[in-house]
Amino acid sequence: MILYKGEVYPDGKQEELISSLEGDMLETLQNNRTLTYNDVIDACDKLYQRVMNHEFDNIVLPLLEMANMPYSTFERYAKYFSKEGLLKKIDIELGDLKNGELDLDEENTRHYEPLGILFHIAAGNVDLLPAYSVVEGLLVGNINILKLPTGDNGMSIRLLQELIKESPILKDYIYVFDVPSTEVETIKQLANLADATIVWGGDMAQKAARTFVDIHSSIISWGHKISFTYVDKNVTDEELKALCESICATNQLFCSSSQGIYVNTDDINELKALAERILPLFAETSKRMGTLPLTMKAKNSLLIYNEKLEGNADKVFMKDGVSIIVKEDNKLELSFLFQNIWIKPLKKEDIIKVLKPNKNLLQTVSINKLIEGKKEISSLLAKAGATRITALGDNSRMLAGESHDGEYALRRYIRVVETIK
Amino acid sequence: MSKMSSLFNTKKKKIYSLDDEKFYLAMKENCSFHYEHNKKYKELLDGFGFKPSDINSYEDLAKIPFIPTLYFKHHNLLSLKNSKYIVKATSSGTSGQNVSIIGFTLGDLLRGWNMVRRVFSYHHLWSLKPHRYIIFGYQPHKGNDKAIAKTAWGFTFVTPALSKDYAIRWVDGGYKVDLDNLEKKLIKYSKGKAPVRTLGFPAYTYFLLEQMKAKGIKLKLPKGSILSLGGGWKSFYKEKVDKQTFYDLAYEVLGIDDKHIFEFFGAVEHPILYTDCRYHHFHIPNYARVIIRDVETLEPVKPGQPGLINLLTPMCLGAPLLSVMTDDIGILHEETCPCGEKSMYLEILGRSGIEDIKTCAAGAEDLLKGEKS
Repeated sequence: MILYKGEVYPDGKQEELISSLEGDMLETLQNNRTLTYNDVIDACDKLYQRVMNHEFDNIVLPLLEMANMPYSTFERYAKYFSKEGLLKKIDIELGDLKNGELDLDEENTRHYEPLGILFHIAAGNVDLLPAYSVVEGLLVGNINILKLPTGDNGMSIRLLQELIKESPILKDYIYVFDVPSTEVETIKQLANLADATIVWGGDMAQKAARTFVDIHSSIISWGHKISFTYVDKNVTDEELKALCESICATNQLFCSSSQGIYVNTDDINELKALAERILPLFAETSKRMGTLPLTMKAKNSLLIYNEKLEGNADKVFMKDGVSIIVKEDNKLELSFLFQNIWIKPLKKEDIIKVLKPNKNLLQTVSINKLIEGKKEISSLLAKAGATRITALGDNSRMLAGESHDGEYALRRYIRVVETIK
Repeated sequence: MSKMSSLFNTKKKKIYSLDDEKFYLAMKENCSFHYEHNKKYKELLDGFGFKPSDINSYEDLAKIPFIPTLYFKHHNLLSLKNSKYIVKATSSGTSGQNVSIIGFTLGDLLRGWNMVRRVFSYHHLWSLKPHRYIIFGYQPHKGNDKAIAKTAWGFTFVTPALSKDYAIRWVDGGYKVDLDNLEKKLIKYSKGKAPVRTLGFPAYTYFLLEQMKAKGIKLKLPKGSILSLGGGWKSFYKEKVDKQTFYDLAYEVLGIDDKHIFEFFGAVEHPILYTDCRYHHFHIPNYARVIIRDVETLEPVKPGQPGLINLLTPMCLGAPLLSVMTDDIGILHEETCPCGEKSMYLEILGRSGIEDIKTCAAGAEDLLKGEKS
C-alpha cells in the first residue's frame, strides 16, 4: 500500500507516484504556508482523545494482547501523543527556538527551519514506531517520506491517514511507500530526494544506509543499544522484584531492557549469593506474568545445557524456565534474552575501562537506590556512555520530554537560520 | 558382524517393527567406541559422571548425555584420524562459520546404504524405468559440502536418469536460484512419457507451484511421477504452509495426487532416512529412536506431549552422533496409524525460538536468527 497526499494507492502505482514526488514536494515547499507544531499537536491530540475514548479498541486490544502489554502501560505510552506530552517535548527539545524568531544581536535574528525533506527507513520492532518517526518529523515542519518495514501490518498507514483526517493540511507532508529492502535502486532514489535519511535498526541497516545515501545528504541513525543494571550489596528484594518485572514484561527485546547485572564487587561468592536471591523472585514473576513462550523456553534450555557442556555447569541458576548465569569476566554482552540474565563483577574503579569501549552502544543503566557512592557511580556510568540512569524496574519507562538515546530528535530534524534584520 | 551393522541389516518388512533389545545393544557398542576413541566425547560423558557401562537396558538410553546440534557447530567432534573418512559433510547453515562438520567412515556409509536401499525398497521408490529429475536444491559443485546437496544428488541414482535439472544452479562462480528454468522443464516433460521425480526444499517447490498457479499453468505429469520433499523450510519459515494446502496445490498444478508425494526427514547430525507413510506420518524406523524432552527440564515426556526432539542412532563411528539434540519441537504419536505400521510417528511442530521477533536490543537479531549462537 502507498499513502500519497492523503490517498491510498496499490503498490503497482509506485513507479508512477515516485516520478511525480519531487515536483510535488518542491511545490509544497514553494507554496504552502509553513507547517507549525500546533497543526501537528492538534491532530495528534484529537486522535489521542479518540483512542482514549476506545474508538480504536478493535485495533489496539489485539495488538496489546500480542505484545502482552497491560492497558495501563499503553495509556502511559499513548500519553506521549497527547497535547500535554507533545508540548513538553517541544518545550524541552527546542527550548527558546520554539518561540519563532529570536534576536541574535542587534542586527540579526535567529529561528529554526525544518531540514526540509526527511526519508524515514523504519524498523519493525515496535508497531507504532514508523508512524511515530513521521510525527517527529512533522512536529518541526518537515515533509516525510516513509519506507515501511518488512511485515508492516498496515497500522502505520492507518494511523497517518487518521492524522490527515484530523488536520488535512498534513496531507502534503506525508508520503508512505512499501518498498522492499531489496529494491535498492528505489530506496536510493528516495534517499536522494531527502535532506536527511533517518535510519532505524541494527548494524546491518546502518551499514546499508552508508552505502546508498548521497554524500550531500545526511544520515540520522537511531541504532540498536544495550542496557543493563548496576548494583551493590544494598539492593533490596523489592528493587530486584521490580527489575524482574521489567525483564519479564519486555522479554529483554528493547534497547532499554536490562540484559544482566553488574555488581560492585570482585567476590564471585557475592555474585552467586545474589543469583540465589533473585532466582525465586524471577521465577515467581515469570509465572505470574506468563510472558515466556514455550519455543523460547526451549531455546534457552538448550543454550544453558550447552553452557554446561562448555564447562560452566556450577554457575547456572535455573528455575521454571528463567535462568541466571554467573560469569567471572566483566565483558558487556547480550543475554540469551527471554528471561535469562547474566551476573558479572564490575568494581566501580573499572567502570570506564570496561564500558567506554562500547562506543554509542550503551543506553539505560538501572542502579539501586542506596548504592554506595551513588553520585560518583552515576557520573562514571554517564561518562562511560550511558544516556539514562534509572531505578531498577524503570529500564523501559517512557517519559515525555526524555531524550532518545541521549539526543533530542527534534533538534536533529531542524536547521538554525540567522537572518539580517 | 558388529551389533551396529546387524541393526542396519534389519529386513525390509521389519523396518518399522522396532527391536528395542537389538537397538540398545548397538547403542551401547557405539557409545563404548566413541568413549574409547574420542577424547572430547569422553570428557563430556565424564563431566556428567556417565560411562558406557551404565547402559544396561533399553530404558537407560535416555540417560546418555545428548549433544545439541549447536555444540557440533562449535567443536570438532570427529572420533578418528582424517584418513579414515570417506566423506565429510556439513549442515546447511546460512552463515559459513556455524555449520557442523561430520565425517563418515566406509562402515558408516555401508550402514547408511543398507538403510537407504531397504527404506526405498519398502516405499517402492526403486525403478528401472528412466526418469527425469527436478531437484529443488543445489546443483552439485566441488566446493559444496552440504549434506543436502550430496543426498539430493544421490537421489538421482534411484532410477536411471534421463535428465537432471536444479533450482539452485552454479552460474558464473556462484549459486543462483532459477525457478523459471524448472518451470519450462516441467512444461516440456509433461508432454513426454518419462515419469518425473522432484526432490528438494519444500519452500522452493512451493514457490514454483505458486508461480505456475498464478500464471494459470495446469499440467499432468506422466504416470508414475513423484514429488518428494526434504530439507525443511529453512529461512522461509514464515511461508510454511500446511500439508493439505501443499498437496492441493501440487494436484492442481502438476496433476500429482498426495499418494505420490513423499517427504523425507534427516539431518547431517542424524543421517537417518525418515520417509512418510501413505498417511504422511514419519514412523520411527528400527535404525533410530526419538525421545521428546520437556522444554524446561529436558527430561523425557510421555507420547502426545510436545517437547524438544532428541534423536538417537548408533549408525556412525566417524562422530558421536548417538544421541543428538535438535532445536526442533515435536510430538511422538502412539495412536494407531491406518497405514498399519506399529512404530510411533514423529510430528515436527517447528523450531525452538521464533524467527520474526521484533527487537532493538543490540545484537539480538543475530542471536535470534542463530547467527551468533
